[in-house]
Amino acid sequence: MYKILMYLCVIIKIHIMIYATELIKGTLKTIVLKQLADNPRMYGYEITQKVKELTFDKIQITEGALYPTLHALEEDGLVTTEVEYIGKRVRKYYRLSPTGKTKTEEKISEIADFIETLRFLLDIKPAI
Amino acid sequence: MYSLSNKQIDYILDDIRARGIEMESLQGDLLDHICCIIEHNLEANGDFESFYNKTITSFYKKELREIEEETISLLTFKHYYQMKKLMIISGGFSVAAFIGGSFLKIMHWPGASMLLLLAILTASLIFLPLMFVLKVREVGSTRDKVVTGLGTFFGIISSLGTLFKIMHWPYANIMMFVGLTAFMFLFVPIYFFTGIRNPETKVNVIVSSVIYILAGGLIFSLIDLRNHEPEHAMKMYAYIQNEALLHKIQQNSKDSIAQNIEIQSINKTAEELKSMILENGTGEKNIPQDFEAKNLVMQEGQMGAFFVDIPRASQLLADLNAKITAYNATQNGANKIAMEHSILSLAPYELRNYTNYFILNNISQLQFQLINVPKTLVATK
Repeated sequence: MYKILMYLCVIIKIHIMIYATELIKGTLKTIVLKQLADNPRMYGYEITQKVKELTFDKIQITEGALYPTLHALEEDGLVTTEVEYIGKRVRKYYRLSPTGKTKTEEKISEIADFIETLRFLLDIKPAI
Repeated sequence: MYSLSNKQIDYILDDIRARGIEMESLQGDLLDHICCIIEHNLEANGDFESFYNKTITSFYKKELREIEEETISLLTFKHYYQMKKLMIISGGFSVAAFIGGSFLKIMHWPGASMLLLLAILTASLIFLPLMFVLKVREVGSTRDKVVTGLGTFFGIISSLGTLFKIMHWPYANIMMFVGLTAFMFLFVPIYFFTGIRNPETKVNVIVSSVIYILAGGLIFSLIDLRNHEPEHAMKMYAYIQNEALLHKIQQNSKDSIAQNIEIQSINKTAEELKSMILENGTGEKNIPQDFEAKNLVMQEGQMGAFFVDIPRASQLLADLNAKITAYNATQNGANKIAMEHSILSLAPYELRNYTNYFILNNISQLQFQLINVPKTLVATK
């Protein structure tokens, strides 16, 4: 009985730990920009894997959210792209533009501020 | 680690296209992404097809097209906030201009029509289209999108019709009529019957529908749908008859007129001025015999800035005034031409509120007075 409960807890915990898409949505642009700031150039799959790895699978960027965001960032001039042929297929690398660099810093400090506000608003005690 | 063959890559690309991804760069992105997943996660001897199908379904909720739609929506609406801001600013501006323009109009202060014109232009060409674009994004069903589109379209037509009307541009009445009719008899019923089905919006829809019908009905009762052609033709006939009468009497007393150079000069100025007014109204200096067939019926209307803006017109008016004043100086008592209650007693800017037919007839009346005078002179001699 105890064992079953334990298993249940583990299952529930796993479900909770993958954040809801709604939570990620507002920060996705910043997450992507930050990855590109830390690496000279990345392609789509690489970004999802990197984020997954860094967050211990807690943030899994879906393809349906990633590519629209990347295209929007490109349109806004925050990232540039370069194409490389891998056999028969094309791989598109994304790279941060100079405006993208300043924008990334802005966005990160905005989120940091937001987290502080949330912490206060939701009365979250800092984990010890 | 699985190794993809060229055939398999083509298969994936074809499948992505078949699932409705049309943007080439997005096709490339997704193709590479799927290939990466397969290469990293499928064992060398794994089943490509079933693994691919499982992977592709994890990309979307309902269908793969979602990704492209989301991309397009993000690219199109990157100016969303600017558009929203512009909509609020243009709406605020047009409301302020409407209120300000109406106030100026009530006070008979200058600038009223300019403000009202700006208000209508801003409302119909900036505010309403932006409202439609932004609203359509919010409403869910295609039916609601169509209803919103219809309402906006007919609203713009009615609003521009009003603008055309006050500017005296052509097709104003037909625009207002079509716009308002469609708004009241097409849009409001559709809006009403689709809206009351939803319990959440029911009360709102009923109240809005009543207000739409009230506003539309009020404007409708103001629209003039009568045919004004007989009225214009009537004025034209009266003027033509008047001119015929004038020329006939002038003809009969041409001997006395021929002796008087002053009278000839006054008549010459009067005729030129009349020609100018006719040309302003019909495009022709004289009224041709078949003026109705040629659609040259002059509509009665105020002269506006005619005598202020056109130098030749104000010059002729001043000449006429000077010549008649000079003529009156040589005459005594009853022979003087009565200048009171005629256009000669008014300043050019005051004439803006007088109609073309009034001025034409008034000039002819002055000419009539000239004929009688020499006759009495002749009789007393």
